[in-house]
Amino acid sequence: MVAVTESRLLVPVDESASLRNTVAHAVEEALDRAGESGSPAAVHFVYPLAERISFRSSSTRAESARSLLDRVASWAEEDANGADVTIETALVATHEYLSTPNDYADVLVRYANEHDLGLAVFDPRYDPIGSTPLLPSLEAEVRRAGLGVEEAPRNAEQSSQPLVRRGTLTQFFALFAASFGFYLLLAGSVAPFELATGAISAGIVAVALWRVSLTSPVAPPDTVKRLVRFCLYVPFLLWEIVKANVEIAYIVLHPDLPIDPEMVEFDAAVWSALPVTTLANSITLTPGTLTVDVERQHLIIHTLTASAREDLFAGTLERAVRFVFYGRAAARIPSPFERREEEES
Amino acid sequence: MTPREIAVVVLIAGGVFFAVVAAVGLIRLPDVYARAHSTSKSETLGAVLTLGAVAASYGIGFNTLKVVLLLLFMFLTNPTAAHAITRAAHELGIEPWTGEEGEDEP
Repeated sequence: MVAVTESRLLVPVDESASLRNTVAHAVEEALDRAGESGSPAAVHFVYPLAERISFRSSSTRAESARSLLDRVASWAEEDANGADVTIETALVATHEYLSTPNDYADVLVRYANEHDLGLAVFDPRYDPIGSTPLLPSLEAEVRRAGLGVEEAPRNAEQSSQPLVRRGTLTQFFALFAASFGFYLLLAGSVAPFELATGAISAGIVAVALWRVSLTSPVAPPDTVKRLVRFCLYVPFLLWEIVKANVEIAYIVLHPDLPIDPEMVEFDAAVWSALPVTTLANSITLTPGTLTVDVERQHLIIHTLTASAREDLFAGTLERAVRFVFYGRAAARIPSPFERREEEES
Repeated sequence: MTPREIAVVVLIAGGVFFAVVAAVGLIRLPDVYARAHSTSKSETLGAVLTLGAVAASYGIGFNTLKVVLLLLFMFLTNPTAAHAITRAAHELGIEPWTGEEGEDEP
């Protein structure tokens, strides 16, 4: 990117203690640069709302993201104080599943290219994944894509952050409880000795892994609903597995080995890590299909027979997985086969 | 024979059958991808049926619960392993066999 576009800024936003400061910095920076180069100033605030998307169109996350963007826009206008700067906000990546800094960088760079933005200004506490430090690698990726990168200065008075957020505390206890329960289950008794050693082990596990194993906030009602639906899913899956095996046994033992292998690809209509994993594993376990590679929700699948391909595109499994994770309404969206027909027509 | 013994025998017979199918498939199928089908599915069901027999012979109790947990982990780890192997093959650029190269390959 060249100097001409440098007065056009991209600012990724997320809830953070130093956000107010970053907004002020970005607006000031844009005006300064516009003054130097004579080109119009613009600041685009984007919120990558990925992974947590659900089927309810007014999901609470989307709403809080929108209200955050509104707040940011009004701050920015306040800072601009009537000066000539274009302020825009956008929710991006609402239909994608983002997990790594690369994914975030892709989304941001794509947005920047679409809107001809030349400089990305990062909040020093920008951390959308929430559990791992993301910023350095994200900045490196964005820089590699040819954008300018700048970090807003840290403001000393804002440096104190609550040590433990409420969400993470629940995560800690959820992990502790799960480990403790599992330990007692294996021990098979609730003698004081087992209770003590179990508490110690679960404590170590929870302290060591609470930031690793549960990356999103725990919402007990949703989790319970999912567990119940998952229990319905298991017998269905078992039945599919038995069918798969009888079919494979027939093919393998048949003298002619009637196979017709082919590699197929499709985009699954599931949106986050756990559902994609469940779907990929289920596909591997069922008739003549084997997940070879997964990138976000794009699946590459090796199919052994033509009937296996038909089953796969009929989307029964995919629908079942959606039912488990998003509820009954989500189960009704079209199968991969119908989606493909729609695209072609 | 008690009903439980019959159940155990049936489950073990099924387990052995599918384990044999997995082995035969491993030898007969043409390439790494097709072979992974055999190991991921037949293998899983064979192991699951055998473990089911173990659970049935224990009757209801903590040991059964542990066996059920083992089953659960088989379901999680077997497909993952098959996936890891075929993914590695895919990334190395190994082309899947499609039966078009000729009749010489089994």
